Amino acid sequence: MGEVSRLFKNGRIATAESSELREADVLVDVAGIITAIGTGLSTPEGAEVIDCAGCLLVPGMFDVHVHSREPGDEHKETLATCAAAALHGGVTGVVLMPDTSPPVDSGNLVKSAMDLVSEVSPIPMFQSGCLTKGRQGSELAGFSGMASRGVPMLTDADRTVSCPDLMRRCMEYARDFDLLVTSHTDTPALSKAGVVNEGRVSYRFGLPGIPAISQEIAIDRDILVAAHTGARLHLQQLSTARGLESVRRAKEAGTKVTCEVSPHHLVLSELDIKDYNTHFKFNPPLRSVEDNGALVQGLIDGSIDLIACDHAPHTEFEKSSDFGSAPFGAAGLETTVLVLHDRFIRAGVFGWDLLIQRYSDAPRKLIGQKPVAISEGTEAEFFVFDPAAETTITRDYLRTKSPVSPFIGETLAGAIRGTTLGAAWYPHEA
Amino acid sequence: MSELNPRKDLLDIESLDLEEIEYVLENAVPFKQLFQRSVKKVPTLRGKTVLNLFYEPSTRTSSSFEVAANRMSADVTNFTISSSSVVKGESLLDTIETLQAMRSDYIVIRHQAAGVPGIVAKHTGASVINAGDGYHAHPTQALLDAMTIREVYPEYKGRKVVIVGDVLHSRVARSTSTLLNKLGIEVAVLGPGSLIPEGRHEFMTRLRSWDEVFDWKPDAVYLLRVQMERQEGQFFPSIAEYHKMYGMNSQRLVRMRELGAYLMHPGPVNRGVEITDEAMRYERSLISTQVENGIAVRMAVLHWLKPETDKD
Repeated sequence: MGEVSRLFKNGRIATAESSELREADVLVDVAGIITAIGTGLSTPEGAEVIDCAGCLLVPGMFDVHVHSREPGDEHKETLATCAAAALHGGVTGVVLMPDTSPPVDSGNLVKSAMDLVSEVSPIPMFQSGCLTKGRQGSELAGFSGMASRGVPMLTDADRTVSCPDLMRRCMEYARDFDLLVTSHTDTPALSKAGVVNEGRVSYRFGLPGIPAISQEIAIDRDILVAAHTGARLHLQQLSTARGLESVRRAKEAGTKVTCEVSPHHLVLSELDIKDYNTHFKFNPPLRSVEDNGALVQGLIDGSIDLIACDHAPHTEFEKSSDFGSAPFGAAGLETTVLVLHDRFIRAGVFGWDLLIQRYSDAPRKLIGQKPVAISEGTEAEFFVFDPAAETTITRDYLRTKSPVSPFIGETLAGAIRGTTLGAAWYPHEA
Repeated sequence: MSELNPRKDLLDIESLDLEEIEYVLENAVPFKQLFQRSVKKVPTLRGKTVLNLFYEPSTRTSSSFEVAANRMSADVTNFTISSSSVVKGESLLDTIETLQAMRSDYIVIRHQAAGVPGIVAKHTGASVINAGDGYHAHPTQALLDAMTIREVYPEYKGRKVVIVGDVLHSRVARSTSTLLNKLGIEVAVLGPGSLIPEGRHEFMTRLRSWDEVFDWKPDAVYLLRVQMERQEGQFFPSIAEYHKMYGMNSQRLVRMRELGAYLMHPGPVNRGVEITDEAMRYERSLISTQVENGIAVRMAVLHWLKPETDKD
């Protein structure tokens, strides 16, 4: 790795601007800078040649919703395994949720988290901070200290600030620092002990349901508070058509609101939950097939700004509990590109340009980072994707510590051959 | 009767086909006839062991299974684990491992979490019988209910049963309505809107008052137990109001008599809540028949299931 120039030969370059792919060789020098793009580039002395015939070169993805579990829950995942999983999945930067143990709710804790990241992670990881102390939803966390450490956003990660007055003060206070307030959008008084979408499936399984209004009311509330305070609001993980409608209306009205959707809410519904399989237990829960369709439409028309996978590692043992007791969430960093390619790009629903806009450009812009593109004079940050190959998602395939994914056992069209970030090249094993 | 595909576990009603249902219900009849004899035992399960594993207190269901297993000559061990004593640390998988070591042939399990019997079944060669899991299923209750209805209505197809009460939190309502529908019996529900999962179920007609119920002309009225311990969310204003709106009282009993409708209840009954003392003495009450049929049906289930314990 490093200290060698590389020629990515005969690939096709994908961009955010167009679904057209440009055939070209890409030369990355020893410093990790793209120095030449063009057809028939000659191989410099000592350069490593990566044969990319039939493959695409795609700008590195960026995920704003990642639970690294370190510190505190290293049995589930560590920063190092999380970064390895990201690179393995074509993701070259992430925002870390602050729900570690202890929760990241002060400038000092942000600093210590970032110190750890710089020691162990080969990819940029941005540590977000809590909205409330200890994510307890009762007192404001240390906003100014966290702002001075450059947190990209504030969020109570998987917990909604349930008191509307406190949420209002969070937004009023965050506005002064131009901090992005990110909301999990749930109404705990409605979701209670629920574990699946409330409806026919929850009834049939005899499991307590989470009604759609649990998220929809929270979305409406937070949009109204944002409009009232003028703060910047980002809504995590839209899961219903009606919630999306609220976002559309707010955007038309000029409210500073953005939102994300997770791949599982695009491609899976409650009907995919079979035999109490806890790998399909998410919060927000998998909803209806109609919701899937509405969310895909929202992603295409731009009402949904970006994709974020909610990488939420747990051990197999933790997930082997009964459906009600098992924790919410699954690993996502390594399956998102593959799944979205398999279900949408390959099927012609949308192109690579849209995936790059929503999963590479928009997430970076959300936190004030520059989008990456494969262009001369910039640092190399892309992955090599072979659309003709296929990938079977197995425990062995995954680099995350958590072999928990609803896609385990599935064979998906396409394969990632490797990811390059600066001077480093991380090839997949053949 | 033709040979059925062997089945290891009884986890729910949904997965049963009509042939299997007939097989169990028909076999329950001779088992019940046995109860009239001085010797009520058959040697069918001699040398086999039945483990009664109850994570929720239930004297009635666990005794019913115990009596059924005893009458089949099986050895029975009762294991009641109060949910408060289940320490978080001992996971389900650890418990299953312990159960494996006991080498039971049949495990009867009741658990407060939906789906647990299925997890146990996957990890053991023993036949697992779901004796109630969360709000999910209570298949032997459904079978005994069906047996009871078929006794009083040998021409049961097209008959009508109305289920009254907390349908939302009732595994009995789920399993019994599913089974009755499979048998061609029509099911309607009556209860407060907060406890009727409207729109979440394909085949339940919702009735909104006792007048509508009697106009619908049910052949049986099935009262559900008001789960007072599950009312923490407050689904209706008070027990008194519930009794007034949905309880079986003397005026409603008059209409029952006019129709000749039977009265059912899974037990245990909350007197003065879903039913008055007087209604308990209704001549067409099937409540104690249900209890008796419960034993017969559970014997038929033990007889039917095929453990794979030799594969362990």
